[in-house]
Amino acid sequence: MNRKRALISDTFKVNKRRVGNEKQFGAVSNGEAGPLDVKATLQDLMTLFPRKLFNDALPQIVLKHQLYSIHNDRTQVDRQLSDLREQGELLMFQLGFDAEAFGLVFAADYKAKVLAGEEGRGTRGTVDKFLEKVLPSCNDLSFNKDKMLKEFLFTDSEITQLVKSGVLTVRDAGSWWLSIPNSGRFTKYLIQGRKAVLGMVKKSKYNEVLKAELEERQTNSQVKFQIKYHIHDIIGAELVECIPTTSGTLLRCVDY
Amino acid sequence: MLGFLTARQAGLDDPLRLRRAESTRRVLNLELNHDRDVDRIHSNGVNTIDIEVIEGRYMLSGGADGVIVVYDLENNSGKPQYTCKAVCTVGRSSRYVHRFSVETVQWYPHDTGMFVSSSFDKTMKVWDTETLKPAEVFQFEGNVYCHHMSPIARKHSLIAVGTKDQKVQLCDLKSGSRIQVLQGHRGEVLSVRWSPRYEHILATASTDSRVLVWDVRRASGSLFSLDQHNGDKSKASSEAVNTAHNGRVNGLCFTVDGLYLLTTGTDDRMRLWNSANGKNTLVNYGKVSNESRKGLKITVSHSCSPEFVFVPCGSSVAVYTLHTGELVTMLRGHYNNVDCCQFHPDYQELYSGGKDCNILAWVPIVRPPDVEEEGTAAKGGSQATVNPAFEDAWSSDED
Repeated sequence: MNRKRALISDTFKVNKRRVGNEKQFGAVSNGEAGPLDVKATLQDLMTLFPRKLFNDALPQIVLKHQLYSIHNDRTQVDRQLSDLREQGELLMFQLGFDAEAFGLVFAADYKAKVLAGEEGRGTRGTVDKFLEKVLPSCNDLSFNKDKMLKEFLFTDSEITQLVKSGVLTVRDAGSWWLSIPNSGRFTKYLIQGRKAVLGMVKKSKYNEVLKAELEERQTNSQVKFQIKYHIHDIIGAELVECIPTTSGTLLRCVDY
Repeated sequence: MLGFLTARQAGLDDPLRLRRAESTRRVLNLELNHDRDVDRIHSNGVNTIDIEVIEGRYMLSGGADGVIVVYDLENNSGKPQYTCKAVCTVGRSSRYVHRFSVETVQWYPHDTGMFVSSSFDKTMKVWDTETLKPAEVFQFEGNVYCHHMSPIARKHSLIAVGTKDQKVQLCDLKSGSRIQVLQGHRGEVLSVRWSPRYEHILATASTDSRVLVWDVRRASGSLFSLDQHNGDKSKASSEAVNTAHNGRVNGLCFTVDGLYLLTTGTDDRMRLWNSANGKNTLVNYGKVSNESRKGLKITVSHSCSPEFVFVPCGSSVAVYTLHTGELVTMLRGHYNNVDCCQFHPDYQELYSGGKDCNILAWVPIVRPPDVEEEGTAAKGGSQATVNPAFEDAWSSDED
């Protein structure tokens, strides 16, 4: 008798396919019901973002790889994300600390927070113009000087004002990343918290922790966000391995 | 399964469908089988394996000790337990053996009378299989990382060679000279591959993070360079513009139909490209761990649906679905890093070699035969060792 669960190709499954059973191979399903809906998942993850910590000045940010920890099919997630960006509902930002870490913010949220932050400042007019003209038409993560001057007809001083207000960050001479104003503290807390949570997994016996147990643990002062936010982050960035066990998912440190 | 067979018989299904379904089922069932073994000859890691395309019977392997071995993969013994024996070896005692590690070996694509090996002793040797003597030796200025001969070429017999030098050399088998040099890379060339669809198209990968695609008939440079962001200059930092990976590119593999190209890089990513226009298909495989400083040999399955790609990942071989990027399974069995793997298209078997000096054969699980109660047990002890396929099932007992 072959005790091992065999991988079965789709063509050999005679039974009626259950609705929403996305995984093609293997008998293990991941407990997610319904077809892949990235927007709903994004909204769920956004609730994990701590708004009070930043005094409501920052829009809710989710990292792109946090979605990978929930949905299995990364290619589908990527495709749906690019569709949402094409429609103008979602904005993606290069966060700067990792070449692959992208932050996602709903466009409406972003606009509201940026304008609220600009109340009473001299740069308000330029930022307004930027948000109205550039964001709806251009999906890029960065802009270079030619584009800003010729396509969008911004002057040099206006570009300086945009950098001062935090909407653009310097990438190198003559090109800028699109960015979220006042997001420096967010990045700092994220990296701090990520290191602390990873440390918690590493310090455990055998370098592994059950996911459910980690969620219950008390966090120290280094971890400013909700621990679930960090757990999605480290799973999605593949800093820990996810192993299915009979008592739930086990997170094991990947030591390289 | 029986449904497929009857549909094939009745003509309801295309014959190819049964073949694809069965090949896929076999690839999904790959595992280490204690009945199948490969002779252990190498005393240092195995760097490269190649199975000949004509019969699929002989396998070449090149090791870090400079030794080259030819194995016979066919099982003629009639018993299920079989060790693939080494037919002949170019060992340390041979006068012509490579002085340092052999990096790539490849059979001559049209018959097994010849094979080519290239090594870190800066030479590439063309061997005669009968006498095991080199018929031709090409000298280079730097370590040779890889070479490849086009499997479909009729109009030319060029070997593309990637060395420590930035130039890709093309050597001609017929004349024995180095006739062409392809300039364009800015770093060592770690991997070269001819397209299995067009005999003049060549892809090369290098430590400068770029993959260039060439048409060797063209005198001016490459056709195009693969860009991971598909021309979207905003996504990358300014130094990473127009690169295939964010690190060294060390693995290249075309799919069997030649329409797609897979590349792996030390940024722990694997990318699938459309080989006609060089666009990144943006299939996300996740983290494909890659720490190799030299070339990595990846391979794809043949005539399965969906196609699978086998990548050596640390000490196991990872199997991914080609077009969706899903990790199907990890084949664990080696004791140390795996360096190379090769898929046998006719039997859907995978052979992988690594630093632990072993070549492991991953064989599809055989369906156990149904247990029959009457008569067969009484036929005698000698029957038990015979493969059921060779059992005499038609003679009558009454005569």
